[in-house]
Amino acid sequence: MSARRPERPPGEHEVRGRAFRDDPEAAEDDGVAGAVGTGTGPLPHEAPERRLRWPKLVITPLVLGAALGATYLWISNADLDSIAHNALAGDTVQLRFWQSVKLTAYSTFWVLIIAIPVGIALTRRQLRKATPFVTALANIGQATPAIGLLALLVIWLGIGPRTAIIGMVAYAVLPVLSNTMAGLRSIDPTLVESARGIGMSAVGVLSKVELPLAVPLILAGVRTALVLNVGTSTLATFGGGGGLGDLITTGIQTQRMPVLVLGSILTVLLALAVDWIASVAEQLMRPRGLEVGS
Amino acid sequence: MSFWSYLGNRHQQLLTDAFQHASAVFQCMVLATVIGVVLGVLTYRSEWAGNLAVTATSTILTIPSLALIGLLIPVLGLGVPPTVTALTLYGLLPIVRNAIVGLRGVDPTLVDAAKGIGMSRFARLAKVELPLAWPPILTGIRVSTQMLMGIAAIAAYASGPGLGNEIFRGIASLGSANALNQVLAGTLGIVVLALLFDAAYIVVGRMTIPRGIRV
Repeated sequence: MSARRPERPPGEHEVRGRAFRDDPEAAEDDGVAGAVGTGTGPLPHEAPERRLRWPKLVITPLVLGAALGATYLWISNADLDSIAHNALAGDTVQLRFWQSVKLTAYSTFWVLIIAIPVGIALTRRQLRKATPFVTALANIGQATPAIGLLALLVIWLGIGPRTAIIGMVAYAVLPVLSNTMAGLRSIDPTLVESARGIGMSAVGVLSKVELPLAVPLILAGVRTALVLNVGTSTLATFGGGGGLGDLITTGIQTQRMPVLVLGSILTVLLALAVDWIASVAEQLMRPRGLEVGS
Repeated sequence: MSFWSYLGNRHQQLLTDAFQHASAVFQCMVLATVIGVVLGVLTYRSEWAGNLAVTATSTILTIPSLALIGLLIPVLGLGVPPTVTALTLYGLLPIVRNAIVGLRGVDPTLVDAAKGIGMSRFARLAKVELPLAWPPILTGIRVSTQMLMGIAAIAAYASGPGLGNEIFRGIASLGSANALNQVLAGTLGIVVLALLFDAAYIVVGRMTIPRGIRV
């Protein structure tokens, strides 16, 4: 990493060498689910992992489907008293499930819309000075508990799904932002320089060299955002956002274990399914040229 | 009531909560570190077992904490037991992963040299491999601790200890004069604790990372 100290392209005297230095601390510190240990060595799952192999494609959905079927059999035969029955009456369960899916989808959409352009902007030469500031902010954001952030937003903006989505976006935006920035910064500067050397414009370098090379890390960021958002979508219930968290809190408050367990199992299955979809998408969308020795 | 006078009035309660929060996270981290490093040591040499450990841990990491706590309540009841179990389980994951990555990253020639001067398997592990793998493990511990700070707050909903109670009290009394103060005190308290722990780990790193591999 320390060898990556490029010669500055002409006309960049204002850039102190620092701006160019790859900051291993920053990559190491984004302690999000998908990036634990980035920069500390080769991650096992980044090791030679080829295209999708069929077991990976088949086993996870099969296991999840079987678990879903078993849950359905269990809950439809379970002995429910009137309180538990009411808590699950009608299509409450389906409604809560789709609320969770929607919360996750909307918040992920907004996270990507915000984090990726901002990440690109912050790695441009003019704005690089803001990087340490953003890194510090991301660290503090990491230390902020999701539930506290959500509660503060509820007090400020009132209860409702909108507040829940804003809270989820606020919570996930910083990890994805730092992922995007780390991705763009880890690009070999000689590639960028040679692109510039053959006369590509700044936009051309960005769209034809930097972004394609950063796709794997950006996709990892997308996956991180999805997983984080599935997690925080269970907390949306405290902000009046509904979702499967409703079943869990109802189960705890009324001490009806079937309701609690059903809510928890569905949440777990949803989270695992989302993670699986994201990992498949990650591998399908990775540029082919980067597969070997990326 | 302003935030400062709230802090003044309730400092007793807040300090108790903060202490319980920190002590729950700390104790679970000690437990998680021991279990995580042992798991790492047991599995890193076999490709199969190591990958299984990493896959299993990252799968558990994708499970939302409220759901895991919800699954533990029917088995363990409310209060401290599900909190400690959930915190330890989540705390394990980054540590196991980084322990395996770190131990696998140790230069094999160094281990060979240690073998050559007659060190036993245990001595090699304790004097060569683990010290060299310590920096990534410590990173894992830092990552875990920050994560546990937030999860411990959620565990308060299952009657767990700590500053999360302050936040949930605020949510329960939405609209009352003190709701904002309670939520703010709980949230900021957790942020401060997390930053203090992080600073402590930097000091621990300075003291425990062998001088030869310090960057």
